[in-house]
Amino acid sequence: MREENPVSAATDLIAGIARGDRSAFERFYDLHAALAFGLIRRIVRDRDAAQEVLQEVFWQIWQDAPSYDPSRGSPEAWLVVRAKSRAIDRLRAMRRREQTFVAPVDERVAAAPGNRGDDPAMAAEDRGLAQGALEQLPGPQRRALELAFLEGLTQSEIAARLGEPLGTVKTRIRLGLERLRAAFKVDSA
Amino acid sequence: MSREIGGEELRELAAGYALGSLDGDDRARFEALLRAGDRDARRELRQFEETLARVAAERPEAPPPAVKAALLARIAAAPRVAAAGDGSRVVPLPSRPRRRIWTAVLAGAMAAGIAAIAVGLAVSTRYERRLEALGQEAAALKAELERQASVLAILRDPATQVVALNGLAPSPTARARMMWHEKAGGILVATGLPPVPEGKAYQLWAIAGQGAPVPAGVFTVDAVGTGSLRVPPLPGVTRVDVFAVTLEPAAGVPAPTGPMFLAGKSA
Repeated sequence: MREENPVSAATDLIAGIARGDRSAFERFYDLHAALAFGLIRRIVRDRDAAQEVLQEVFWQIWQDAPSYDPSRGSPEAWLVVRAKSRAIDRLRAMRRREQTFVAPVDERVAAAPGNRGDDPAMAAEDRGLAQGALEQLPGPQRRALELAFLEGLTQSEIAARLGEPLGTVKTRIRLGLERLRAAFKVDSA
Repeated sequence: MSREIGGEELRELAAGYALGSLDGDDRARFEALLRAGDRDARRELRQFEETLARVAAERPEAPPPAVKAALLARIAAAPRVAAAGDGSRVVPLPSRPRRRIWTAVLAGAMAAGIAAIAVGLAVSTRYERRLEALGQEAAALKAELERQASVLAILRDPATQVVALNGLAPSPTARARMMWHEKAGGILVATGLPPVPEGKAYQLWAIAGQGAPVPAGVFTVDAVGTGSLRVPPLPGVTRVDVFAVTLEPAAGVPAPTGPMFLAGKSA
């Protein structure tokens, strides 16, 4: 039973935020902003866009704290669901914009570093310097999970992208997430 | 119909739902289970969401302090419920003093100044000098509060454009944010700029379309390369397409002459 866990400090903080306690919000931000920002950056890449998404996510936390239900999951999971969905929304908007018009961009602006996914730190991570549980999954499972988690594709879009049957994609996503769940020992509820 | 979906299929749906990657039909099926209060569906979903939180937690990245500062300013400037903006909340929370925080601080500061003056007069004229200092302090405080209130007004106005400026060749790692409101002016916050040479200053430019750059003020940076500038409304300037920062003589110049350190296009 997860309920055996003592009510976490983070849950208390959410309750404080729900009451409009700004210091609780500040502490929750201090404890969890890096978690959310790391994920947002992996999704939208662009650092400035990621900062805007992070601000929106925590603004939403401030607004929505009264609706948080601890029986549905930890504050961390609650935050990650929001961060992921906002970041994917942003990613889709950026892609739409890229596809629908080519702005007469000032070349010096376009040439400035950090506008796109060319940040050296991100590139280092992409070269495999950071090895997390996701990176240790078998290739096909990892690929399907990343397309869903970090690129925001639906299962049928992933199937089309990879040229695999939909059923295969569904199975890979399930197997991959089950393997991660076991690796993190997130079991029994 | 409690157990038509189970086992692998249920976990498949829960995994896809946690990732937000289910296609329409599958999503509708899983949401129906959740609505029906299916305990297995909720448990699987919850576990997969916790799993994804752990995946995210493996690669944290500290955000720049500006994000927190902006959030705290936003929270201080607006009550939680009224700021939701979608009108969907019908149950207002008990209203909190947060809404009036700056007004209250200002009123408090003024009241304190007035009280000090009254007491001082009653006690002795030898406090006159001190009173004068207090009065100046109160006036300075009031001016500072008015300045902050105007900054907050810009931050919370939906018409405010936010433009990210990126570092150019002389300082590739520099970054800045320009918050621009055509009627209220704007605020520039810059980081990572090189120290300003003697007799020089950074100058901000607002450029609309093909027009000539309009000077928008000069600023310097502190020891760590951080600087800010409050820009008054610029006569004749409404929508701005590009903001840029160049290095110029300290008094500023009517048209840019020096190297460009930062530039950004509005979205």
